[in-house]
Amino acid sequence: MTMLGSSLRTAERLPLWAVPLGLGVLLMFAPYLGMDPSWTRQFMIIAIYALVVSGINLSFGYAGELSLGQVAIYAASAYTAGALAIRGYDLSVELIAGVAIAALLGFASGVPGVRLAGWGLAMSSFFLVIMVPDAVNLFRHYTGGYSGLAGIPPATLFGAPLSPNGYYTVVIGVMVAWLAVMRNIVRSRHGGALQVLRQSPVLAASLGINVQRTKMTAYVLGAVPAGLAGTLFTHVDMYLAPESFTFQLAIAFIAASVLGGSASVYGAFFGAFLLQVGPMQAAGFAQYALVVFGAFLVLGGVLLRGGIAGLAHRGIAFARARLIEPEPPRRQAAADADIGPIEGRALELTGVVKEFGGVKAVAGVSLTAAPGQVTGLIGGNGSGKTTILNIVSGFYRADHGVVGLGGRPIGGRAPHQVARRGVARTFQTPMIPGSLSTLDVLATARYARDYTGLPSTVLRLPRYRRRLALDREKSLDLLRMLGIEHLRNVPADSLPLGSRRMVELARALVAEPAVLLLDEPASGLDEGEVADLGRLVRRVADLGATVLLVEHNFGLICDVSDTVHVLEFGRLIASGTPAEIQRNPDVVRSYLGEDAGGASGDARAALQMGEHNV
Amino acid sequence: MLTIWLGVSSGAILALVAIGLNIVYVASGTLNFAQPEFLVVGMFMSYMTVSGLGWPPVAAIPVGFAAGALVGAVEERIAIRPLRAGAHGELVTTLGWAVIMSGAVMLIWGPNPRTLHGFGAGTSVDVFGGRVAVNEFVIVVVAVVVALAVSTWLRTTIAGLANLATAEDREAATLRGINVRLLSTIAFALAGGLLGALGPVVGPQTYAIFDLGAKLVLPAFVVLAVGGYGSNAGVLVGALAVGLTQAASTRYLGANYASLSLFALLMVVLLLRPRGLFGTRSERVV
Repeated sequence: MTMLGSSLRTAERLPLWAVPLGLGVLLMFAPYLGMDPSWTRQFMIIAIYALVVSGINLSFGYAGELSLGQVAIYAASAYTAGALAIRGYDLSVELIAGVAIAALLGFASGVPGVRLAGWGLAMSSFFLVIMVPDAVNLFRHYTGGYSGLAGIPPATLFGAPLSPNGYYTVVIGVMVAWLAVMRNIVRSRHGGALQVLRQSPVLAASLGINVQRTKMTAYVLGAVPAGLAGTLFTHVDMYLAPESFTFQLAIAFIAASVLGGSASVYGAFFGAFLLQVGPMQAAGFAQYALVVFGAFLVLGGVLLRGGIAGLAHRGIAFARARLIEPEPPRRQAAADADIGPIEGRALELTGVVKEFGGVKAVAGVSLTAAPGQVTGLIGGNGSGKTTILNIVSGFYRADHGVVGLGGRPIGGRAPHQVARRGVARTFQTPMIPGSLSTLDVLATARYARDYTGLPSTVLRLPRYRRRLALDREKSLDLLRMLGIEHLRNVPADSLPLGSRRMVELARALVAEPAVLLLDEPASGLDEGEVADLGRLVRRVADLGATVLLVEHNFGLICDVSDTVHVLEFGRLIASGTPAEIQRNPDVVRSYLGEDAGGASGDARAALQMGEHNV
Repeated sequence: MLTIWLGVSSGAILALVAIGLNIVYVASGTLNFAQPEFLVVGMFMSYMTVSGLGWPPVAAIPVGFAAGALVGAVEERIAIRPLRAGAHGELVTTLGWAVIMSGAVMLIWGPNPRTLHGFGAGTSVDVFGGRVAVNEFVIVVVAVVVALAVSTWLRTTIAGLANLATAEDREAATLRGINVRLLSTIAFALAGGLLGALGPVVGPQTYAIFDLGAKLVLPAFVVLAVGGYGSNAGVLVGALAVGLTQAASTRYLGANYASLSLFALLMVVLLLRPRGLFGTRSERVV
């Protein structure tokens, strides 16, 4: 066990990415190493399909956008390249044109996506696919229409004609290069940002991620490999026809994506391999192909969460957790670990009003949360607590009134802009993107604060590496302070509720916010956890942050707050120190006096626990 | 005139599919990509009973209903229930189920279209100087009646109200003692059964062929997008809009523009009124 552990640790230090890269390069030169020529076409098609599938993985698997029109983009690039090839252009020109067309179409297909979500988007992208034959026929002067585009010459690269084997090497090489680029994108904060977007656009915005821009990036990035694939496909058979770009193919690509693992890099290749070598090949299998594809989709969607790649990842993670990671002592004394001072800024609400269809959820609230203090906000269900947080975060726009941060108005700004001005928050139900480790979750909160562009991320430039080291350092400091350092490499969404709340708190703090908004952080926690949480909230304020704490738990509020505000039906009915609030007759009547309040709190807690168990 | 009637009658078929989509959507929040496949199954059931066994066409209706309801319930159990909520897994699994159904139909009955008989097939009457097939007329009437019936059922029966409550807030409905899961299974079975039963009625118009579902599904979604998800009155308006758009663009612009025009219609509606003409759903942000 120890020997295996130490050898695995050694293996860990070796660059893991070298394995797929090495295999890819080997595949590039396989024909020269004696691969049967019948496999050359097979692998070219697999590589081309893998490119398209990896585009689906980026936009659907990672970013969660149901934009599935890659086949249309693939077709457009293929015809562009075909038309250029017939006119004597070089493969390099075709590739550039193919990618440009693809990026343009990706951008265009993303425009409705900014407004639409889910099914509307899936539908409109499917429409793009079924319009391919019509579009081909409309441009028949360039595309050959229904009868196909014949007479495409073999490819020339930089003026030199490519032999069949040479073209094979180029095709595989492009796939290997793209997968390397994609791997560097998804294993970075950019990938994390995409996954946050998939989890919830609300969460993304609250972390300072510009949702629309990130969506557009996902569309364009998802289109690029389809553009490469289309261009490369042109010279495989030297003939293009609308029958090569069908709705059925679009479904097969999605099946390949799901089967290989949508949120994966190399899964695209396995998916494409099975698509091409599996059902298509067996003699007499064609009539069963539909049923088998369908079964792939259903099973893939239901059972194999994460596809083949997901199984591999879980295996690696398991081995790591069991054999490599030395388990650090649980709950190290948090007192000796610390993060630097936090520069808080005052949060001021003046006469804030918010109506929903005639109901005043917030009816003229004015309050100030000062730096270095915990400001408690308490009130029954529907009293407007969360609405106030949503107004501060920028998810709702106040109908009247001013929200100021450090003396400057922030009302009316988009959520991601508010977040970038130093407002961080947690949610009633922790929102943690699936399959990210705790450290990766924290890194997503530093994405906007410390932006590193795509080029330096893809090329892993020093600038990127410095940011990465800083992210890690800051995150580890915080995890140590919160006593959850031992959870740094575990998938954060599978943690128990108490730990997930801690991870959320760490994520909110790692961006070094001026203002921390906590939305019922204690709900669903046991007594010990609530006490820990209280101490931490107090520490954060003592370090200088402005903390606005929304809670049902009256004990917690009184323990940690400097000032408490009590909300009822959208109005403040009392404000003062915890001691004053506890004596206030109105508060006692409306909030403490009724057992119903406590009971409903318990019911909520029970509900949240139950939800967690499901 | 002929163009308008063509639009109305083709819209009616889409309306029936869209009502099936709606029933499932209201109860389970899922848009069932496989919905039109149930119509296809119903058609082949009709082919089997009428042309094969020699039964009268009316007998094909209960057979189609039984087959559709059974397959629908099985779909819900296999492809929907095991899914985690909120991960858009239904898109992939219902798409998969649609492919399985159409593949199975092809395996059993082969890839060639079959002609169905009954329900006014082959006869036509003169209306306003144009010849209208009786079967088309039957389909239009059935679509209107079914839309009104489903809409009334939702608003006036306990089961219907439970359905609406579930659509509003699944969790709250569960807490009120509504068996949300059972409701979901029933809705899949009911929608499947409805379309299965309609197969014999619609089939004489379209021919029974295994890949018909794939051709109907996107326009049917457009019907919902235009009319508003969950609204059965909206379905009739949406179906009319889609049918007329298809017929008019084919007639005046050419067949190449039919999908393009439909796409344009979809874009305009989605961008201007993302909830459709009659949709009212809105969601809490955080």
